[in-house]
Amino acid sequence: MLKQVLAVTRINLMSIPQRFWLSLSTVVAVALVVMVLLSFLAMSAGFRRTLASSGADDVAIVLRAGARAELNSVIARDQVRLLEDAPGIARDAQGKPLTSAELYLVVDGIKRSTGTKANLPLRGIGESGAALRRGIRLVEGRMFAPGSNEVVVGKSLVREFQGFELGRSVRFATGQWTVVGVFEADGSVFESEIWADLPVVQSLFNRNNTFQTLRARLTGPDALATLKAFNDGDPRLKLDVKSEQDYFAEQSSQTSDLIQTLGWPLAIAMAFGALAGALNTMYSSVASRSVEIATLRAIGFGGFAAFVGTLVESLLLAGIGGVVGALITWLVFDGFSASTLGASFTQVVFSFRLTPALIGQGVVLALVVGLIGGLLPAIRAARMPIVQGLQG
Amino acid sequence: MNDFLLIRKNLFRKKLRAILMIVSILIAFAIFGVLASFERAFNAGEDVSEADRLVVVNKINFTQPLPIAYFNRIAGIEGVRQVTFANWFGGYYQDPKNFMVVLAIEPESYLRLTATDFTFTPEMTQAFIRNRTAALVGEQLAEKWGWKVGDRIPVSSSIFSQKSGSHTWDVTIVGIYGKNKPQADTNAMFIQFPYFDETRSFGKDTIGWLIIKTASAGLNDQISKAIDAMFANSSYETATDTEKAFNKAFVAQLGNIALIVTLVVGAAFVTILMIVGNTMVMAVRERTREIAVLKTLGFSGARVLRLVLGETLLLALIGGTLGMGLATVATLFMRRSLAMFVPGLTMSAGIVLAAFGFMILLGIATGLVPALNAFRLRIAEGMGRG
Repeated sequence: MLKQVLAVTRINLMSIPQRFWLSLSTVVAVALVVMVLLSFLAMSAGFRRTLASSGADDVAIVLRAGARAELNSVIARDQVRLLEDAPGIARDAQGKPLTSAELYLVVDGIKRSTGTKANLPLRGIGESGAALRRGIRLVEGRMFAPGSNEVVVGKSLVREFQGFELGRSVRFATGQWTVVGVFEADGSVFESEIWADLPVVQSLFNRNNTFQTLRARLTGPDALATLKAFNDGDPRLKLDVKSEQDYFAEQSSQTSDLIQTLGWPLAIAMAFGALAGALNTMYSSVASRSVEIATLRAIGFGGFAAFVGTLVESLLLAGIGGVVGALITWLVFDGFSASTLGASFTQVVFSFRLTPALIGQGVVLALVVGLIGGLLPAIRAARMPIVQGLQG
Repeated sequence: MNDFLLIRKNLFRKKLRAILMIVSILIAFAIFGVLASFERAFNAGEDVSEADRLVVVNKINFTQPLPIAYFNRIAGIEGVRQVTFANWFGGYYQDPKNFMVVLAIEPESYLRLTATDFTFTPEMTQAFIRNRTAALVGEQLAEKWGWKVGDRIPVSSSIFSQKSGSHTWDVTIVGIYGKNKPQADTNAMFIQFPYFDETRSFGKDTIGWLIIKTASAGLNDQISKAIDAMFANSSYETATDTEKAFNKAFVAQLGNIALIVTLVVGAAFVTILMIVGNTMVMAVRERTREIAVLKTLGFSGARVLRLVLGETLLLALIGGTLGMGLATVATLFMRRSLAMFVPGLTMSAGIVLAAFGFMILLGIATGLVPALNAFRLRIAEGMGRG
């Protein structure tokens, strides 16, 4: 039995060159389906990873109630003062609270790829601002000096937008700013930001005494609940308090879900097209070998062997297509840098990420096409009446 | 027996094969139809924009405010026929998740300037201008929440608060407007700027952006320069652009949608080109002997060539038309559920026309090789091969 199966499968595979162009079209069709699917999934995964790596679970972020995004939020100075003394917030060796009240403004930049204006975030941060974020590392230059018109910029921002290289001078409204440093931030959204000293930003943008968000290092796992209770108990506050991790997770789900809900239906629709192609190829394969199949059956081979032979051929073609598609996507798109408008109405730079799990999904889709595309023709091969087959 | 009957019989002699090819063509065209309408809808702002309209925003970025005094100063510039302004409200209804577009507008001038986009009746215009807490609601938004004229609605802001500390303003719907252009978006609410400005706790006397109608599009450049020069070196510098360029730049911020659509549609078309092209070469090869017979009967080479090309063209037209039909139905369904992301999702005549062009190209491209093979076939050879 096994011998028969192997023999027929071998005949099937050896005869592929006879149907070279048709077989190739199946391989290419499946490869294209997998490429479309994987590039959307890689885009979605890359965006999600960028936002996920931005949020820490031991940092709380405070926003105006209902604001949902940093850009919308407004917090008054009195509220900042109250929060700095709140329970649950960690303090440094001198007893100063590890908090950073921040101003989040949008300024124009020019996107390199399109040459059009794009919204970039300018963040005025406090003394502990950089320390409250994980993995901040200056790769060029130095940190801005307090009280000066200096900015440091994220590495991704420099890559995607014009005019922010080290030493360059940038103009926002009446203020002239100098780029004195470029920083890395573990590939998080902070790498798409411009940072400057909070009081300078406040005065140059006519926003004295207003803040948008407050970040605070928490003392421990229960501290968030303590801080929330404190906030809810004071009628002067009534702000939204959440962990930075939750905040960014909410933001990422909107966009990455949207990309995924576009990617899968498109890939499935295309898979039906490829399936039609695969069925065509396999029916032709069975038809062109009808004499061989009937001859084998006549000398005692079972229908099962013919069935398996056809199915394996189909799975192999689709499998090759899947692997080729994944490989090309990996070569072309993995690490591909792009940017889109995030929830805070500013550009978020992210890199496509093709993970092994995603490649697995692509290859599975390819094999499903191969399985369905081979099944019906394989049944026909197994059931072919011997006499009719021998007549060709 | 005419040629068309021959073509049809040839195409459907192997029903399953013909159906499979039609299905793959159908899907490629359905993908094209849906994605092309998405792209058009994303760029709807560009389509509805008018040549004689300019948008003035803060030079730092359009989210930064401008002083309200600019309204009168710009009105005095030569060549400015009309000017109005608006402020982004950051609206939502009841829950922050129910985001909605709410603009606080200068009542009289805004309705007059955008009258070419929306159907404001004289009654609702009067009511809106006279009543401080009035609101005008677009058809699509009103339908979503089941609002009627006369309803009193609480609209909340995720940015602003009232002096009382509340984030919610109560407004009365005095009119529900429709649109004058198919691509216009009626998913918005307009409220009175004076009411909003007097009650908000910060930002008084600042506005978001101004819209200008110029005396003629030819003056746009000159007027843009005059406005930006007027406010140069002030603490609120401006950037003035045509409405079209402004909308285009905004959509470009989302990403290169046109490129994504082109790549996906390209992949779908390459797929059918290969599948249908190869299948047709094979199908005609199987018929070698018949073609030789046709030629023996006196069919000219050109006529045989036409028969084969006719077959692939018919195939492309059947699959393509079905696919575009499917795409039209799909956009109708998605129109409602995606109203928030892509208002004005619709199948346009331009897209259908482009699709027919692609069908003809596909028919010729897939039929060319087998048709030439049939054209060149020698009778003796064909008979021998069968």
